[in-house]
Parts: sequence; C-alpha cells; structure tokens
Amino acid sequence: MKLIQHQELSSSQASITFSSIPQTYTDLLLVVSARSTTGNDAFVTFNGSTANFTSRHLEGTGSSAGSFSRTDNFAGWFNASGATANTFGSWAMYVPNYTSANNKSFSIDSVTENNATTTRQFITAGLWSNTSAITSIAVSTSGNMAQYSSATLYGVLKGSDGVTTVS
Amino acid sequence: MPTNTYTPLATITLTGTDSEIVFTSIPSSYRDLILVANFAHTANAEEVIYLRFNSDSSNGSMVGMRGNGSSGASYTGTSMFFSYAGGISTSNGNAIVQIQDYSATDKHKTSLVRCDISTLKTEAMANRWASTAAVTSISVVCQSTPFAIGSTFSLYGVIA
Repeated sequence: MKLIQHQELSSSQASITFSSIPQTYTDLLLVVSARSTTGNDAFVTFNGSTANFTSRHLEGTGSSAGSFSRTDNFAGWFNASGATANTFGSWAMYVPNYTSANNKSFSIDSVTENNATTTRQFITAGLWSNTSAITSIAVSTSGNMAQYSSATLYGVLKGSDGVTTVS
Repeated sequence: MPTNTYTPLATITLTGTDSEIVFTSIPSSYRDLILVANFAHTANAEEVIYLRFNSDSSNGSMVGMRGNGSSGASYTGTSMFFSYAGGISTSNGNAIVQIQDYSATDKHKTSLVRCDISTLKTEAMANRWASTAAVTSISVVCQSTPFAIGSTFSLYGVIA
C-alpha cells in the first residue's frame, strides 16, 4: 500500500476530491476523518458521477441493529454539526480493481464519534454500475465538510514474490 | 518515495470457473496477511464459501453479522467462512480477509473478514482456527457453485 495523496481542509468546503488518480495500482483505499457542517449523511462520487450507485448497509446504533438498501450514492455517516465538539467520524472505503472494465464494487466501514447516546456504525456493500476506470473520487456530506476534515488516498498493487503460489 | 506497506505475494485472475483458490508456500517472514478478492459467484441457492488454513476443514469457528438490506442478523458457525450468508448473486462482490500473526506457533489464528455483495448483503465475520501451526496455505472453497471467470484473488504480506 502506498500513499497517493493526503488532504486536510483549512476551511469548510463542499467536498474533498481526488482527481487524476494514477491508473498504475490495482486497488484503492480511501481513509477519511470527517465532520459535517449540518447533517450526518456521507456521499461518494466517482468520476464526478452520482448516478448508478446501489448499496446495502448494516447499521448499529448502540441499542439496535438494522439493515437497509439505497439506490443513490449514500455512503454511511460522518459526524454531524451537533456531535460532541472537536470529534470527527472515521470512514474507510476499499475499491478493488478500480481500473477494470467491470462494474465497480466497494466496501465501506464508517462510524460516528459522539459522547452521547446518538451514534452510528455502518458496514456497507456498494456497487457503481459503470465500467469506466475510476479517475476521481469525491466524498461529501449533506452540508459542507467541516474545517480540519481530512482524507488520505492509498494505492495497493498486486503482484508476486516469486515464492508464494496460487492456483 | 512512499513506503510500500503491503508486499504483494501472489495473485490470480480466473480464466475459467474454479471452486477452490489455494495460496501455498506462504513465507513466514511477515506479521500479518491480507487477502483481497473481487469476485462473481452465481449461486442458485443458499451457499457458503469456506476459508481454510493448511487444508484443514476442521478446527474452525466463527461469529458473524450481516445486513441484507431489510434486516440484520448475527450467527455463529463451526467452520471458518469467507462468505457465510449466500444466496443468488450475479454481481461482483468484495472480500477482505485479515489474518493476524499467521506464522506464530504459540497461538490459535484469528482472522477478520469483510464480505460485501451489493445485490445481496454486507457482512463482517471473525474466524478462529484452533491450531498453533503456522499458516502456510490459504484456501477459499466454494460449497458448490464455482467462482466466475474474471474473479481476482490477491495475497499481501504486512511487515510489523
């Protein structure tokens, strides 16, 4: 796994975007520490597109668990503006084979950090039904991404060590 | 130059359907292993996919949780699983398996699995292999229906 780029917001803005993603890796890992200026909902965009996303989610609230499906680019939760001050949600997305000519599946784990009874943890199975290689990724929220929100993009490259075999 | 923290060990892209993927001759020089799969598995009924170490189909146990888009569930098993909640699926899925201290000979081996198929489920599992032997091979075994052509499986070593 190699670092591609890290961004941290010096002021709130609509999204954190990674553009011109190198096409030289096999998989991508995006790790985000984020807070919204309004509500919790997190969204992901590939190549500027919010279309053709589907997902299934398992949600835990600390007192109950539930599951739901979405047909938009919803991608879990970040900390909302009403969460405990100076706390940011943790969010990570893994996208295998992001340059392939297949539809793009992805996995997300996210949790909000809140010193209160209202918090959420999600695991997410996502699919972008688009055969284009992913060249840009943006994360956003229902409001703006708050100051000091950060995101780090890593590339993972498959290969062989010449010793391990697979069949 | 960024440091590479995942060392690629082996990878395969299926050119024909296959019911069992096996990584062998895994070196003992890493701390942990990461197995990443991007796969299609067209099952006609509830089917599971097993995870095995050193070809051992015994000595496994697991606890898992799943969301299918309408309800959540938690379950246990007496094998190790790569995917527990099966069903009809024609879309690509992901699985990430993290195996901690795989070469240690003083402990049982634990692994964490995230298995996601967006048309079917999102799933997280914890497996235990009740053996103190070092892991030298990893098998992903379909219960019945094989993995589809184009499915990929890649193994990485992580240095402590």
